Amino acid sequence: MQQEVVLAMLAKEPSHGYELRARLQQALGPAGDAMNAGQIYVTLGRLEKAGLVTCEQAAGLPDRPDRKVYALTADGQQRVTEWVTDVSWPGPGLAEFHLKLIAAAAARLADPLAIIDAQRRELLRSLRDTQRAAMAEPPGSDAALLLEGIVLRLQADLRWLEACERKWTGRKDRS
Amino acid sequence: MNETAGPEAAGGTPVLRARGLHKHYGKDAGLVRAVDGVDLDVDAGETVAVTGPSGCGKSTLLHLLGGLDRASAGEIWLAGRRVDQLGERALARLRREAVGFVFQAFHLMDELTAVENVELPGLLAGQSPRAARRRAAGLLERVGLADRAGFLPSALSGGQRQRVAIARALVADPLVILADEPTGNLDSEATLDVLRLFDSLHAAGQTLVIVTHDARIAATADRLISMRDGAFVDQTRLTGGTTGSLGTLAGLEG
Amino acid sequence: MGKLVLTGRLAGRDIRRHPAQAILLLLAITAATAVLTLGLALHGVTSHPYQQTRAATNGPDVVAYLPVLHGPGVRSGPPAEAAVLTRASGVTVHSGPYPVVSALLRAHGLVAGAEVQGRTGTPAAVDQPKLTAGSWIRPDGVVIERTFAEALGVGVGDRVTLNGRALTVAGIAVTAAEAPYPNLCYAGAGVCLSGLPSQGTVPLSPGLAWVTEADARALAPSAAPPSYVLNLRLADPAQAQAFAAQHGTGGAGPSTVLAWPAIASGEGLLVQDEQQVLSPGALLAALLAVASVAVLAGGRMAEHTRRTGLLKAVGGTPALVAAVLLAENLLLALAAAAAGLAAGWLAAPLITGPGASLVGSPGAPSLTVPIAAEVVAVAVAVALAATLAPAIRAASTSTVSALADQGRPPRRRAGLIAISRLLPVPLLFGLRLVARRPRRALLGAASITVTAAGVVAVLAFHVIVDRSGPVATSGLSNPVVIRDEQMLTVLTVVLVTLTVLNAICATWTTVLDTRAASALARALGATPRQVSAGIAAGQVIPAVPGALLGVPLGIGLYAAASSSGRVVIPPAWWLAAAVLGTLLAAAALAAIPAWLGTRRPAAEILQAEAV
Repeated sequence: MQQEVVLAMLAKEPSHGYELRARLQQALGPAGDAMNAGQIYVTLGRLEKAGLVTCEQAAGLPDRPDRKVYALTADGQQRVTEWVTDVSWPGPGLAEFHLKLIAAAAARLADPLAIIDAQRRELLRSLRDTQRAAMAEPPGSDAALLLEGIVLRLQADLRWLEACERKWTGRKDRS
Repeated sequence: MNETAGPEAAGGTPVLRARGLHKHYGKDAGLVRAVDGVDLDVDAGETVAVTGPSGCGKSTLLHLLGGLDRASAGEIWLAGRRVDQLGERALARLRREAVGFVFQAFHLMDELTAVENVELPGLLAGQSPRAARRRAAGLLERVGLADRAGFLPSALSGGQRQRVAIARALVADPLVILADEPTGNLDSEATLDVLRLFDSLHAAGQTLVIVTHDARIAATADRLISMRDGAFVDQTRLTGGTTGSLGTLAGLEG
Repeated sequence: MGKLVLTGRLAGRDIRRHPAQAILLLLAITAATAVLTLGLALHGVTSHPYQQTRAATNGPDVVAYLPVLHGPGVRSGPPAEAAVLTRASGVTVHSGPYPVVSALLRAHGLVAGAEVQGRTGTPAAVDQPKLTAGSWIRPDGVVIERTFAEALGVGVGDRVTLNGRALTVAGIAVTAAEAPYPNLCYAGAGVCLSGLPSQGTVPLSPGLAWVTEADARALAPSAAPPSYVLNLRLADPAQAQAFAAQHGTGGAGPSTVLAWPAIASGEGLLVQDEQQVLSPGALLAALLAVASVAVLAGGRMAEHTRRTGLLKAVGGTPALVAAVLLAENLLLALAAAAAGLAAGWLAAPLITGPGASLVGSPGAPSLTVPIAAEVVAVAVAVALAATLAPAIRAASTSTVSALADQGRPPRRRAGLIAISRLLPVPLLFGLRLVARRPRRALLGAASITVTAAGVVAVLAFHVIVDRSGPVATSGLSNPVVIRDEQMLTVLTVVLVTLTVLNAICATWTTVLDTRAASALARALGATPRQVSAGIAAGQVIPAVPGALLGVPLGIGLYAAASSSGRVVIPPAWWLAAAVLGTLLAAAALAAIPAWLGTRRPAAEILQAEAV
């Protein structure tokens, strides 16, 4: 589980372990079925060790990870802010971006539409570079084939971003 | 509006300019605002791409700019001349001399060969048949289809047909070429051919306004305008490099 | 049962969706059926009226015109010949001999010649003229034959003078013993024995009148005693011709003897011209109507094919689609037949009105069942023909290609395209339009040919009518001429209407067909004027050879249709005017719908269709 995702989940307010898990599951839906509880707590442990997260035990409750309350440190907050504005594309993994939007909206870290827009522009730049490289290639070269593959995926991702934009605009209008 | 506009082009008036363009259909409950208050400036030699979901009015906007339809309100200037109030004859002259159109469906005449299709605007403008034929042949060579000049459209692939259509749009050496989803009916290889052609036109200084779904065209434009519900919502120039390299995009780590 | 309902519903909905086309089709077939009805109805008229008159007036089988010998020593009174004839074998009843005097009749400022018969007050056994108005002769009273009275414009009670003597019109009557005005002398020179009265040197075609015997003798100038007419009935009316030949001037006797068929033909002359005009006229009208229907059907072909594809894709059969089309066309055709029958029936009296010596109600030629059946059958045949081609085509097209079909793709004619490049823009368009749809161009040319032929035939008729003018008396209207002119007017109106319809059908179909191409042309910089001129040129270019071809065809048509078989060539400038007029009309009729078509913004059309 990406560390930044878990961090972002805490950005709004501190929460119990089980709350975190519930929120993640809701955001991921069926894609999150394979996720098991342990992964979250392992990540939380690492984050605590790195000093990005603090962990408290509520008084009078058993000492179990899901009952502990986790909160962001100042370092953790900064890390989250950096992550939100980072536009490097996370390869084939869509979940991270998806969660980024949800976390950003929930914690009011940033406007999801702005995130989408920035990412879109980045992808377009990539597309432009790839396209230019493809045009410079002699037709039928092997590299041209690879470049076409990149182009097609970028196109697909851009279409998804458009869909994200449509949905998040709707959500914004309604809220 | 989220405008990250670049510096104004030196040397004065934009080639194409629109202010407050509106196009309505119907009324009352059935009122459709196809174009709802659009301002646009296109400088000489610029390639502008207009993107947006279907039904957002981008094709309508193009038709208004090219005089194929009349705006309900607003003003349009072409090379400093006001053109939205012109009569049909003057508009026709405009289309003959100043504006070239490229359509998604190519719109070539099925019973004419490629060169006969390309020479048509020349003949309409009153050029002598020989001069029109010569120019048409030259343009077909320019777009790389000199060897297909005598072919009927049915014998040409989609990409080749669109290139013939682009050659036709170039006959009058127009101030601006307006392209409506030029790659909409093309597969990716044909799209690449058309992209190359647009690129070479751009390099030669041709002004292009392209309405498109296709992110590839949008990505290579100088300026990218997003449209929704008849209005511009975003204008961008894609300047700068990318954070990731091509290698990363291809899935290579590092 | 469900299929029938479905068929009906689809047909009705289709008609409602294309009202203009349905109306055009309706009008085309109505005009043709109307003319057909007229022709058929009048056809019956000529064979019957004489018989009716004959029966009502106890008409004679043979009429003898007895000349009078002039000179001293001749007794006045009927010649001996009369007695010979009345006692001839085969004669059963006779009336007369009645004195006949040639007189100058003046009425209402008009001058006419009259053959005046002297009669008695008692009804004659043979040829007692039947009164249609007023009463029979009385002293100082004259009864005038009906056609003559109408030409003069006199009615019962009017004052006329005969040879200067004032008389009152006592009544109007018809007879079967003489041909009606102006064909009184038609049957032969000997009929108008007393010498034609003349106005100066121009002979005045006489009409028939009856007065009392005393008045008749008083009218005869002393130097010229009256001649006599004798009416005979035979035991065997079939022998009338033989009797006439035997006893007439050609045979044994000095008199002119006429059998009743000769008189009947004089009677029939009045409507004979109409027959000559109506039959070919009806043919031309029918041809034009068929051309219109073909154009309309052809124009709908593409859409029909597509609709077939749709229905086939959801499980319908081509038969169902054909049934729908047939139902549509049948519905329209039957409605048109009814309208045409009504129109023809109402128009017939206008044609046969004055003149034909019919007893009772003239010219309501009854709408017999055979006529109605024939007209309906023709209309149904037209409907079937209009259904056949599209149905066959639709059935033979596979579903997939039918659904994808944008109509027949235009054929390439490299030669025409090459030529058109050298022409100015409207002709460039026009020629390429013709090249795109050669069959439609051919149909258009054929329609123009038919129209031009009709107009030229009408002109030829006019030439004849004008030439035969002098027969008319000064100031009197010649009923033959009047009726001929009426006929020509009707025919010309029908032809022109059908041509206009045809042109509208053709242009409208062309405009629809070339909608995308015109929009593209406008997008490439052609002005709307150039585009509409181009479409008009597309109609006119095939019309030129069509019109030129129509001229000799029209002349031939007239020659074929006229009883004399003469080849009449109208003056050159008339022909030139006819051809030019037709072409100009074609251009105008094409330009207007074409221009209307360019009013729609090009963008709309280009979005919707591929060229």
